[in-house]
Amino acid sequence: MNRGTLRAVAPLTLAVAFLAGLGCPGTAHALGANDALGANDTVDANGAVGANGAGAGGVNGAVDINGQLKDSALQARFEHITKQLRCVVCQNESIADSTVELAGDLRRQVREMLVAGKSDDAIFGFMTDRYGEFVRFSPPLEPKTLLIWGAPFFMLLLGGFIIYRVARQRSRMPLDDEPPPGP
Amino acid sequence: MWKFLLPFAAFLGLVVLFAFGLNPKRDIHALPSPLIGKQAPAFILTDVLDPQRSVSNAALKGQVYVLNVWGTWCVACREEQEALLAISRQHVVPIIGLDYMDEREKAKQWLEQLGNPYQAVAFDTDGRTAINWGVYGAPETFLVDGQGRVIYKFISPVTQEVWDREFLPRIEAARRNGA
Repeated sequence: MNRGTLRAVAPLTLAVAFLAGLGCPGTAHALGANDALGANDTVDANGAVGANGAGAGGVNGAVDINGQLKDSALQARFEHITKQLRCVVCQNESIADSTVELAGDLRRQVREMLVAGKSDDAIFGFMTDRYGEFVRFSPPLEPKTLLIWGAPFFMLLLGGFIIYRVARQRSRMPLDDEPPPGP
Repeated sequence: MWKFLLPFAAFLGLVVLFAFGLNPKRDIHALPSPLIGKQAPAFILTDVLDPQRSVSNAALKGQVYVLNVWGTWCVACREEQEALLAISRQHVVPIIGLDYMDEREKAKQWLEQLGNPYQAVAFDTDGRTAINWGVYGAPETFLVDGQGRVIYKFISPVTQEVWDREFLPRIEAARRNGA
């Protein structure tokens, strides 16, 4: 590999890295956004009970009037988990931030599972079983996600290697303003 | 030699990437459903037209059916409705509706005005059934085989063309396998 080749490859590598992070909006598939933020949360906390009847889902006694879980440890876990879950409608928001109705439904689901004593893993598992790995903002490190986790390090190594090669070749070459070595 | 080949190979790689990544026909918001090949989540809900009647997918066990998720707030569903009506008149499989995030009265009106392609419409009052099915919008259409497994999910409005291309072959295959 010589310097010209490296020069040509480096920008391409950058372009690929850039494209990997590229996204764009627009779809016919829609979900109505609920602008009534806040109201949304108290409703789903209470509304869940009536709809669910005697099921394990009721959280009525476990939330205060602001829709926060009374148990502060549970509330902390609730906030952590909902920040880690992607709202599949808006896709770049977490369900903690999104005002879309589905996000409200999913927050209710997380809250109910926490109150029912489910572990974080069980809750993430519930979500990925239904919506796929994509709902997790940080996918777990496992063989099939190796490419995602490994790619940045690979790019770093590749870039370092290219710089190293270019620098070494450059240091071996005469400076441009030096006269060419005489015969 | 390398000097030319390597950039060229990188260029070809980019062309392939662009052809896939920038293809306008690819809906980048469409997520693959993890339900494919798995048992369809069971539901028992009330019928949108009659709160006294229940709609359950357990009753459909043994036959191939379609579950279509819609709502009166969903603009694309209006456009889909016509195609669904035509498809329902072909009597290939029962089409079950799942009315999502909706109001009963509005849904009734909609079905009266636009026509009702559904054998029954389940009314998902609190969105729990939708969550179980991994629904994140409407319209979404699932195909379930005779063993109760989800075999296909289509996101965005079904048209006759989509039906003929994506659904019919799968329905036939499911029936062959189920027999």
